[in-house]
Amino acid sequence: MTATDVRIGDEPVAEPPPIPSDERISHRGPMRRWLVSPEIGALIGAVIVWAFFWGNGQTFGEADTTLNWLDVAAPTGIMATAVALLMIGGEFDLSSGVMTGATAIQIGLFSRYFMGDGVNIGWAIGSAFLAAAAVGWFNGYMVNKTGLPSFIVTLASFFTLRGVMLVISKRLVGKVQVDQIADQDGAGFFKSWIAHEWKFTEFGIRDNLFLALVFAGSAAFIYGLLEQSFVRRASINPVGAGLTVVGLAAAIGGFCGLLWTDGLGQNALFGVIAGVGVVLAIVGPALARWKARGSDAGAGALPPEAARRLGLGVGLVALACLTPIPFDRRQSMAILTWTSSGLRPVIATIAALAGIGLAVRAMLPELRGDRKASSWGKLSAFSIYSGLLVMTMAICFLQLTTVQALRAMGMLVLAGGGLTFMMIARGIAGKTSKRWQLYIGLLVSVAVVVLAFVVRADSGTVRFRTGMFAAMMIGAIAIAANSLVEFLMEKREHADAVADRLGKLLQLGGFIAAFVGLIIRLVWSNLTPEHAAEVKAAGGSVGQNVLRQTVVWWLIVAAIGSYVLVKTRWGNWIFAVGGNKDAARAVGVPAGQVKVGLFVTVSLCGCLAGTLIALRYGTVQANQGTGLEFEYIIAAVVGGCLLTGGYGSVIGAALGSAIMAVSVVGVQTTRWNSDGRFAFLGGVLLLAVLVNNFIRKKAQEAR
Amino acid sequence: MTVTEENKAGVDDKEHALLELRNICKYFGNVTALENITTRVEAGKVTCVLGDNGAGKSTFIKILSGVHQPSSGEYTMYGSPVHFNNPRDARNAGIAAVFQDLALAPLLSIWRNFFLGVEPMRGGILMRSAFMKKTAKEEMAKMGIDLRDVDQPVGTLSGGERQSVAIARAVYFGARVLILDEPTSALGVKQSGVVLKYTRAAADRGLGVIFITHNPNHAIPVGDRFLLLNRGHSLGDFAKNEISRTELTRLMAGGAELEQLEHEIGIR
Repeated sequence: MTATDVRIGDEPVAEPPPIPSDERISHRGPMRRWLVSPEIGALIGAVIVWAFFWGNGQTFGEADTTLNWLDVAAPTGIMATAVALLMIGGEFDLSSGVMTGATAIQIGLFSRYFMGDGVNIGWAIGSAFLAAAAVGWFNGYMVNKTGLPSFIVTLASFFTLRGVMLVISKRLVGKVQVDQIADQDGAGFFKSWIAHEWKFTEFGIRDNLFLALVFAGSAAFIYGLLEQSFVRRASINPVGAGLTVVGLAAAIGGFCGLLWTDGLGQNALFGVIAGVGVVLAIVGPALARWKARGSDAGAGALPPEAARRLGLGVGLVALACLTPIPFDRRQSMAILTWTSSGLRPVIATIAALAGIGLAVRAMLPELRGDRKASSWGKLSAFSIYSGLLVMTMAICFLQLTTVQALRAMGMLVLAGGGLTFMMIARGIAGKTSKRWQLYIGLLVSVAVVVLAFVVRADSGTVRFRTGMFAAMMIGAIAIAANSLVEFLMEKREHADAVADRLGKLLQLGGFIAAFVGLIIRLVWSNLTPEHAAEVKAAGGSVGQNVLRQTVVWWLIVAAIGSYVLVKTRWGNWIFAVGGNKDAARAVGVPAGQVKVGLFVTVSLCGCLAGTLIALRYGTVQANQGTGLEFEYIIAAVVGGCLLTGGYGSVIGAALGSAIMAVSVVGVQTTRWNSDGRFAFLGGVLLLAVLVNNFIRKKAQEAR
Repeated sequence: MTVTEENKAGVDDKEHALLELRNICKYFGNVTALENITTRVEAGKVTCVLGDNGAGKSTFIKILSGVHQPSSGEYTMYGSPVHFNNPRDARNAGIAAVFQDLALAPLLSIWRNFFLGVEPMRGGILMRSAFMKKTAKEEMAKMGIDLRDVDQPVGTLSGGERQSVAIARAVYFGARVLILDEPTSALGVKQSGVVLKYTRAAADRGLGVIFITHNPNHAIPVGDRFLLLNRGHSLGDFAKNEISRTELTRLMAGGAELEQLEHEIGIR
């Protein structure tokens, strides 16, 4: 089309001109697509923290502790959902914590004292929701009207609410708490409908159901990833189809055999059958459905940089296998107590020197620039500070960490580092030589198998001897199968709408199945009442396995919040208002209304949390919820929300609150000094945000 | 598609230009912002408004887009006089202004930005995201940009590509007149070239384009008509064949004033 004389009626609007292909276009692989989502850091963090306590805690991973941390996470999770939405919309609400307490107090006061001797608690709850909505509306209105930062406006609301609650409860009740809420009219009815408690005892086929769902789910997820990665064949290859059937049969038969037999020899036999079956069940469908790779460019030599990293990786894994030797695995005292008294000053000095070294390193550019007296003063102050800080951190760490934990961590770090280097070597080799990529992939899976046997030989607890061992073996098989598939099949460099959609569905379905399986495993106990009585008689403790409806509300609120954010126009507006308010307004988004709506949402969620507190405990302190607003904000930030607005995820916020609850409950289940849990929480938060930022940066770079 | 149908309706009227301005004046108190400005905008043509800082370019586009109302003079669309009380009136009449900040949210993905504020819905609640992604990709393709991925945040696009998202959006939502406010001012040479290409592409799709710039080198390759402003006065309104490149540059640079300046400071 040329510029000069085109009239409006006759130019071909509907036909796009042919576009020259852009050499910068690269097809984004399925893994990368997963990695750019905002909640991925929180997901990885949650899994790591959970696994950490699963390995360290005595009872962590059992039904009662799981229900315990879910119970801790739920109120934070409800609020974190709303707070995340508000943060994505670019505002904060510091009155969100006190709102939970204020509404709980209001419910208590109304149900006991309104019109003399109180009203049905239903009216009290209704009025609390109305009042909460009014406060939320006021916050939003003031922020819009005055243009003040929401930080200031909601801080004012925070103090006002707190003051009003204290004054009213003191005047009416004579003390700073309202109790006997559970005895009021209608409390029983509302408790059974809003704050129900389900008690779980025993579920006979729990473990089998769990295994079946997790295996089916993982298989669907892996097929989904493969589906998004390779070029489809024109027709199905019968050899591959046959292999699939054989593989599936072997895998299922092998696993059933593993479950039903108990001897070591039989276990090994069925284990091998199951392993071969899984490999065939992955490679078979690949052969059947996808195009084989041409035999070109497959046989390059191993590039030297890949060889170097491979050597390093193998060395680290070997070291990891040796770590258990110098430690006594039954030693559960803190490292500081374990070390001889002569060693302690040495450790402290090394830590202090490391801190000073860090300070000097950070100051180096300034020192090189000009040698003024002031910069020397700054350096000495900074080094003293940094030296003391690192020393304190080291001592805290040694005091908190047991010998067992140190051994486990050392092994984890060495093995993780070694495997990472091997995977990097595999990636480098893959660019020039498909053959070496396969070899290194198989070597990785062999390394995982070796590590699995080391873990099995060296662990005292059953969960490591069986659970961890099995998981590592399955991981090794999956890595080997994936390497084979990648060697045999042709990678896709373009989008394929049908396959991409099918892959996405499979991933989603697989994820849900595995998740449900996990829930079943975690929530139900497989203790029968008789068995529980035996455990009690033997001096063990049996949790009460109560699932509270708060957890259900958490899931509902998070699901609705996520749906609204991702799928509806309001979600679009929330992102836009937080990202660039003027732009949003310029294209006709009612920015003011969106903000008011968000503030009201936060207040209503606060009221929901407050109602649940009032119904559950029956007693509310006047300072209930004060200070929790920062926990909500932290959960949202850990979940990937930007403090500056315009980016984030509700699912991430839910995971963020799970991370915090797991940390708090997890420390209680370990043999550590439980006062250290806040230090641990601080470390976790920092780490989660760093991981989040790192992954996002890496994923964005590759575009 | 909306654009085509509306433009077809417009094309029946061959007598009159798409927009015509006659003797437009604008006073702010006793300050004369614009005096006796006359020009026309035709469908499928680019009218360039050139002028140095303070020449009245901003006031001029604010009048066109309904932010200000002219103090006197005639503003007609297809020959019939129009009066815009606010930018919304102008937008409803099909006059879309793409300002320098582009009205894009940088962290929001391209397809979400494209439909921001006018999201197509299914059942009143659900966004039709598949349709939105497809349309955003197609519309950008019509501007000559092959998007790597409509899911990427607008902030990761280059300046020129971001301009073209804003332009494509205005075009898709039925703009008949596109006002581009200094679209090349913050861009490098190559990126400016890209934006000029998209400007031309928009005109080729049947829109009347008003291109505001202070750089004659950007105006000359795309312009069909040139309006030169200096301190609120028109230095002339020329069709492409009525003025030479050198003359345009000379007028633009301040003409006689510049010659005198050269003489004073001794530039050869």
